[in-house]
Amino acid sequence: MSEVDDLVAKIMAQMGNSSSSDSSASATSTNNGKEMTADDYPLYQKHRDLVKTPSGKKLDDITLQNVVNDQVDPKELRITPEALKLQGEIAANAGRPAIQKNLQRAAELTRVPDERVLQMYDALRPFRSTKQELLDIAKELRDKYHAEVCAAWFEEAADYYESRKKLKGDN
Amino acid sequence: MKRQKRFEELEKRPIHQDTFVKEWPEEGFVAMMGPNDPKPSVKVENGKIVEMDGKKLEDFDLIDLYIAKYGINIDNVEKVMNMDSTKIARMLVDPNVSREDIIKITSALTPAKAEEIISKLDFGEMIMAIKKMRPRRKPDNQCHVTNTVDNPVQIAADAADAALRGFPEQETTTAVARYAPFNAISILIGAQTGRPGVLTQCSVEEATELQLGMRGFTAYAETISVYGTDRVFTDGDDTPWSKGFLASCYASRGLKMRFTSGAGSEVLMGYPEGKSMLYLEARCILLTKASGVQGLQNGAVSCIEIPGAVPNGIREVLGENLLCMMCDIECASGCDQAYSHSDMRRTERFIGQFIAGTDYINSGYSSTPNYDNTFAGSNTDAMDYDDMYVMERDLGQYYGIHPVQEETIIKARNKAAKALQAVFEDLGLPKITDEEVEAATYANTHDDMPKRDMVADMKAAQDMMDRGITAVDIIKALYNHGFKDVAEAILNLQKQKVVGDYLQTSSIFDKNWNITSAVNDGNDYQGPGTGYRLYEDKEEWDRIKDLPFALDPEHLEL
Repeated sequence: MSEVDDLVAKIMAQMGNSSSSDSSASATSTNNGKEMTADDYPLYQKHRDLVKTPSGKKLDDITLQNVVNDQVDPKELRITPEALKLQGEIAANAGRPAIQKNLQRAAELTRVPDERVLQMYDALRPFRSTKQELLDIAKELRDKYHAEVCAAWFEEAADYYESRKKLKGDN
Repeated sequence: MKRQKRFEELEKRPIHQDTFVKEWPEEGFVAMMGPNDPKPSVKVENGKIVEMDGKKLEDFDLIDLYIAKYGINIDNVEKVMNMDSTKIARMLVDPNVSREDIIKITSALTPAKAEEIISKLDFGEMIMAIKKMRPRRKPDNQCHVTNTVDNPVQIAADAADAALRGFPEQETTTAVARYAPFNAISILIGAQTGRPGVLTQCSVEEATELQLGMRGFTAYAETISVYGTDRVFTDGDDTPWSKGFLASCYASRGLKMRFTSGAGSEVLMGYPEGKSMLYLEARCILLTKASGVQGLQNGAVSCIEIPGAVPNGIREVLGENLLCMMCDIECASGCDQAYSHSDMRRTERFIGQFIAGTDYINSGYSSTPNYDNTFAGSNTDAMDYDDMYVMERDLGQYYGIHPVQEETIIKARNKAAKALQAVFEDLGLPKITDEEVEAATYANTHDDMPKRDMVADMKAAQDMMDRGITAVDIIKALYNHGFKDVAEAILNLQKQKVVGDYLQTSSIFDKNWNITSAVNDGNDYQGPGTGYRLYEDKEEWDRIKDLPFALDPEHLEL
C-alpha cells in the first residue's frame, strides 16, 4: 500500500507548486514535515494553527462577528486537503490505515464541485455507465482535479464492472 | 381437543403475537453457521489473495474482490487463518489479552473465519468481549427525533429535550420526503439549543442526504446501506465501489459518516444465497473496514424481526455488534426497531448491548412516543424514559441518558421553538405562530400541535434549497434575533467540519465542543479496576442517583 502513499505525497507536492489551485495556501502549511500522531489529536485543541480554511484563513478568524458582517463565505467552512492529510496521519498512527486511505480519496475530492461529485457517485452505481464513461471520469479526475487515487478507483471499477456485469446494459 | 386452561391463558400473552419460524437455511432463515456457509480458507500468491473461503479469485463477486483487496491485512492473513478459532474466541473474553492484541488478529480475517470465531461465544461471553472491544471508553446513545406530520416546531422542541437528556447524536427522517430540508434545520437548531455539541443527521435518500450535509444543515450521516450478497447490493442500487466513493465524498466535506447493515436484510430483499445471517453480516463488516469508514450501524437494525424469528437470533445480533467492534469500527448497535409485543422481550433486545456498553446502545432510541416515530417505531421510546433511568440506577450501568427536571425541559423546549420561529421569519419561510411555540413547549405528540399548511411548508423547503440557503444564513438569522448562543453553537459545528477531528472513530462532543473518540479516549477495559464504570463517573452518577421521584429521607414523615 506504500505505492498509494507515495502517489499521494507526489500529488500533494505538485499541488503545492501549482499557483492556480485555491487549496495551495493550505497545502503549504505543514508541521515542519513531521507526521501527526495520535498524541497530536485533537487538532482543534492542539494544532489549531495548522488548520486553515480553503482560502487560508485561520480558524480563530472565523468568529460570529465576522460571519454576521458577511466576512465569511459559506465555502470557507470546508475542510481542506491538508487537514484531511493530517487526520489521515493521525488515523494511521492510531492503528487505522484504512481510514487514512479513505481520507486520501477525500482530500482529492475537496477539489471537485458539489454537483459534479454527486454526478460521479451516481455514475458508479450499477448499470449507469459504460466502461468508456467510467474511464472518461477517471481521466477527468486525473487531468482536471489532480485526483490520482480516485481516478484509479474509477479505472478499477470499470474493469470489475465489465467482468462482473455491472455496466450500462448488463441488467 | 379439550383445552387445558393454563395453555389457553398463555396463548393470550403478548409474546404470542410475535412471529417465530423454524430454521430454513435455503432461504437464509438461519442465524449462524448455516449448512451452506463456506469454510474458512485463504490462499495468497504474490501478495494477493487468490482464494478466500473456498472460492477462487475468478469466481469472486464484487464484494469478495473488494474485501480481499482492501479489507484484510494480507501480511498476517495466513497466520491468523491457521489459528484455532476457539483460541481466538477465548482471547476475546480473557481480560489479560489487550484490545490491541486482538485487533492484530481481527484485521486479518476472512468473513467465514470471523463468523466461526463469533459462533464460539455464548451471550454472556459476547457481553464480556464487547466490554473490551468497544472503541470508545464511555458507552453512549443515539435517539430518533421525528413526528408523523413533520412538524418542524415540534422537532426543534423534541431535539432540545433529547439533547438535555444526554443523547450526543440525534437522527431525524421524514414522513414526506420533500420535508427533508426543514427537518434537518429543525433538529439542528433544536439540538444546539438544548445542548451545544450534539451531532444531528437527517436520514433520506443518499444523494439528498449528502446535499444537506454540504449545506451545513447536518453533521453526520448513517443510513449508507451495505449488503452481504451481490444481488441485494445491486438491488440496493450500489456497488462496493460506489459506496466506498460515497464515503470519501462525505469525508471530503468534513462530514462524519457510518455505514448501515444488519442481519435479515438479505432475507427481506429476497437473495440471501442460502447463507446464514452472521456470515453475510461478516461480509458487510469487512466491507465497511475496507472502505475506511469509521463506523457502522448494525445489529439487524430495521430487519430485527428476521433474526428475532429464528433460534440463536438475538445472540447472533449481539455477535454482529461484537464483530463490528472487534474490527475496530464504531458501533451503533441497533436496538432501534419495534419488534416485540412483549415488554420482557423488548428488554431482552437491548440487555446485551446495555450491560456490555456500546458506542451507541440504540441507533435510535425514540425520543418521542412511538406514535410519532417515522422510523416505524423503536424498541424503546419516550414513554420508557423513567424505566431506563431506574435500570441505570439499579445496576450502576450507563445507558447514555439521565433524568432532567421538568422545569429545565420546559425552558429548553420553549427556547428551541422560539429560535426556529426566528429563523423561519428571517429566511422568509412560512410563519411559526406564538401559539405553535407554546404548544411545542408542552406537547407530547403532534396531536398537541396546531396543524400547519404542509403544502406551503414543502414548497418553502424546496425554495430554501433553490435559493442556496446554508448554515451561515441560519447563524445570521439566529444572531439577528438575539439567539447568540445558538448561533455560536452552529458556527462551532461548522468549524469542527473544517478541522475534521470528528472524522476519527467513535467521535462525540461535550457541551464545550471537547471531543472524545477512540483516538483520545479509547477503551482501556481489561477486567475489574479498569474501563468506564458509571458509579465511578461522579457527575453522571450523581444525576442518575438523583432520581426525581425517589423519596428523600430528609423530608420523610415517619
